[in-house]
Amino acid sequence: MPHLHELYRTAARILGDASQAEDVVQETYLQAWKSFGRFQPGTNCRAWLFKILLHTIQRYRRKWLNVRMIKESEDVLEQAAAAAPAVPGQITHEEILRALGRVPADYRAAVLLADVDEFSYKEIAGMLNVPIGTVMSRISRGRKLLREQLSELARSYGIGQAGGEGGA
Amino acid sequence: MTCGEFLASLDAYLSQELPEDAHREVARHLEACPKCAAEFAGRARVRSALQAAVRVTPVPEGLEAGVRRAVRAQQSRTRAGLYTIAIAAAAMICISIVTLLRVRNGPEEAILRKTSGRLAALLNVGLRDHLQCAVFRKYPRQPEAAAQAAKDLGPEFAGLAPLVEAKLPANVRILQAHHCTAAGRHYVHFIVADGNHLLSLILTRKRPGESLGAGIEQSGVDRFQVVAFESHGYLAYLISDLDAQRNLQLAASLAPTVRQYLAARS
Repeated sequence: MPHLHELYRTAARILGDASQAEDVVQETYLQAWKSFGRFQPGTNCRAWLFKILLHTIQRYRRKWLNVRMIKESEDVLEQAAAAAPAVPGQITHEEILRALGRVPADYRAAVLLADVDEFSYKEIAGMLNVPIGTVMSRISRGRKLLREQLSELARSYGIGQAGGEGGA
Repeated sequence: MTCGEFLASLDAYLSQELPEDAHREVARHLEACPKCAAEFAGRARVRSALQAAVRVTPVPEGLEAGVRRAVRAQQSRTRAGLYTIAIAAAAMICISIVTLLRVRNGPEEAILRKTSGRLAALLNVGLRDHLQCAVFRKYPRQPEAAAQAAKDLGPEFAGLAPLVEAKLPANVRILQAHHCTAAGRHYVHFIVADGNHLLSLILTRKRPGESLGAGIEQSGVDRFQVVAFESHGYLAYLISDLDAQRNLQLAASLAPTVRQYLAARS
């Protein structure tokens, strides 16, 4: 099951919890098995599995988190905007994962799907069931937030603010 | 392109989501503007750091066994029958196939991603042009006139067409010869037909640090066979959907001609 590890890692990072991720991945394969009749030959199986994973995660999150809507996180974003992040030269695994953990889940999911799992915007739109424009803005904002969180880390290490990055 | 426009396109550029023209424009701006280049480098660094960190996240030992157990339990609850078994088999094949196409910008990306190893980058240089130019663009069904090929190739390479044609077996013909560009790189491209098979003979100038050594390199990627060699400042490729043996034979018969031609004009 070669996609299993990718699915698990993405789920673990979106959910921030290993055992929830395990549940969700198991559920994903069960759903895939049950709905295989709907899988269209010739389409991308990996993307199809990820789509089921993202749907499952959404369902679980509603159950676990009492629907944490994106609106909430957008406010956080507006406050954080306009900073000029200085990304540290050396980024350890621990640092970047910690920074990622501070990015709201919807943005985190978009960034993970684009940057780690390397899906196209169109595929991601299908997985998250949102328009492509929303995918683009989630990725941009998600990446920006990630840089800002990293620059927070840099500041805490005493690296000063460097060059600006301009408008959003 | 201004720095503002560059920044507005940077996320899509990083995701390789820009149309070819816009992608080239961003790449040009990157070369010209050190400030934007630094911004790009920073963002690319974050992206690769994230990839690296997530990809080493440990996976629980019992995960796979748990998933298999759950699917088996589900299976035994489902009515057994040929149809169910067929679906289950198809599902397992789908789930366990490793080399699935990962379609990003197009099918050529999916194929290019399948190469790995030391020579992958160099083999991909030729493969990319074959895929983008010969496979996914229109090429004539019938060989075009020799005069047209000579015109398209320009004075520098016009002389190579008849020499290549002479080396090809009787039923193998040059369909078209031209100059083309893929991913910011310039190519001299002969599109050749062998029955239903499509071949590309491709030449591109070597860049600093690129080297194939003295021999001929061969590799199979997806359904394509790539043979590559270098000569007098150029990388040369023969790429086709022929079987490995035939592709290599053709490349071996063309290589001396190509080498002589490049030697004479260098």
